[in-house]
Order: sequence, then structure tokens, then C-alpha cells
Amino acid sequence: MDARHPLDFLTNPERFMAFSRWAAPMFGAIAGVLGLVGLYLTFAAPEDYQQHDTVRMMFIHVPAAVMSMLIYLFLGIASLLALIFRHALADAAAQACAPLGAVFTALALVTGSLWGKPMWGTWWQWDARMTSVLVLFLFYLGYLALRSALEDEQKAARAAAILALVGLINLPVVKFSVEWWNTLHQGSSTLFAAPENRLPAVYLWPWALMTLAYLSAFGSLWLVRIRALVRRRKARALALRLAER
Amino acid sequence: MHLDFDAGKYAVYMWPAFGISVLAFAWMIGDSLARARHWKRELERLQAEVKAGAGEPKA
Repeated sequence: MDARHPLDFLTNPERFMAFSRWAAPMFGAIAGVLGLVGLYLTFAAPEDYQQHDTVRMMFIHVPAAVMSMLIYLFLGIASLLALIFRHALADAAAQACAPLGAVFTALALVTGSLWGKPMWGTWWQWDARMTSVLVLFLFYLGYLALRSALEDEQKAARAAAILALVGLINLPVVKFSVEWWNTLHQGSSTLFAAPENRLPAVYLWPWALMTLAYLSAFGSLWLVRIRALVRRRKARALALRLAER
Repeated sequence: MHLDFDAGKYAVYMWPAFGISVLAFAWMIGDSLARARHWKRELERLQAEVKAGAGEPKA
């Protein structure tokens, strides 16, 4: 009986390789187009009356911050699936997204700091949003360190997956920190903000396009890195077979 | 539409932020493609080795 699951193409390595072969370049091309249009709108947008030209930093800082949280959510889900079902592809998905998530989080911290200095008069403040994003970055680094520190790959994968799940607790703290505490960091002003706090269209469009460009770029690179891990696993199995001869 | 690249006194903050973002993307793209190419070549090499050795008698 062929009871194929709708997501079978993502759980079967052969089908995943066939799917990602065209999906990775497609997402890459979408990211390129969206990024170019987003950058055009970034520099075509008028100066803000309060933030002046620094308002353009919003179009690279906020997408990086959104990606830092979204990728960690993917890392947590993939780690959970890898732990429960011991699925090699889920483990590869978790392993592949961690370095990308770490880079996006570092970008959010650095661009935020460069934006904070002229607007708040400080590079850094130990407020709830900034501190929780720093903790998020440390979870990424911890995940990467655990994966490379243990020689037994299965043990490393299991330990890192547990750490990734523990780190999920930090995600709502990052998201709602600006609501739960009185922070220097401003609240949300994008799609889910109250209408009176929402950005005007002239800023909302470049933000939305740049966010979609970052998301597509991540999708493409994630697939490329999972493909590399699938091939590495196969190569190691073959190398073992050759060594046993 | 007019493109405004003059950030005035804020250029010292704005351009490093854009520059670092470009560098980060360049690293992510370069590293991901390099890994993909490396393991593709390595797998092809090992598959060829297995295929070549398939006809050989066992030692």
C-alpha cells in the first residue's frame, strides 16, 4: 500500500535531493530580485523626520532580527523531530541552519548597535531586548560548539538538539521583551503592530521586501547546506565501506 | 524616483552597517557553496572508487 505522506519529499533523502536541486537556485534567484528591489526602495525612501538617514538601517537590521528568531524556531523544530524520530534529514536540517542563524543574529546585534549609537547615544544597553538577543546568539554558539566538540556524531547531535530545545524558552522572551519590560529598544512597528504604531507604506514596503529577500536567501542557503550534509553522510558511509575491504 | 546615498553625518554608522551585511551574506553564500562543492566531489570520487573496486577479487 502506498500511503505517501504529503511531506514525504522532505523526509526521504532521495526525494529531498530532487526537490532541493531546483528549489535552492529558485529561492536564490527570488532573493536576488527581492533584494535588488528592496535596496532600491531603501535608498528611494525619504529621510525620517526624527531618525533622518539612519532610518535606512531599519531595512537591514529588522530583517536580520526577524531571521534570527525564525531560524531558531526552525532549529528547535528540526531538533525535536531529530530527537523523536531519529531522522537523519531532520538532524541535517538542524545542523545546517545553526551557522546561518548565528550569522543573522550577529548581524542583528552589530547593525542594531550601529543604529543605536546615533539614535540612543549608546552602542549597547543591558535592556531586555538586546540582552535576550545576545542570549539567543550564545545559544547558537553553544549549539555549534557542542556539535564540533564531541567526536561521536550521534552523541553530539543529541546533546546539541537538547540544548536547542532548551533555547526555545528564550524565543518568547526575545519577541515580547519590549512589551513585558520597559526597554530602551522600541516596540514593534511592522505588520503585527497596532495601527497607530505601524510604519507608513513608504517604509513598510522596503522593510517587507528586504525581509522576504532575507527569508528567500536563507531558504536557498539552508537547502544548499542540507544537500552538502546529506552527501557528507553518504561519503562517510562509502569511505567506511572501502576501509572494510 | 531619486536615490539618496548621502547619509550626511550618519554615514559613519550607516555604511558600516550595510558593509557588514554584505560581507555576512558573501560569507554565507561562499561557505555554503564551497561545502556543497566539496562534498559533491568527494562523494563522486568515492563512488568511482567503489565502482572500480567492485570487480576486483576480495583480498
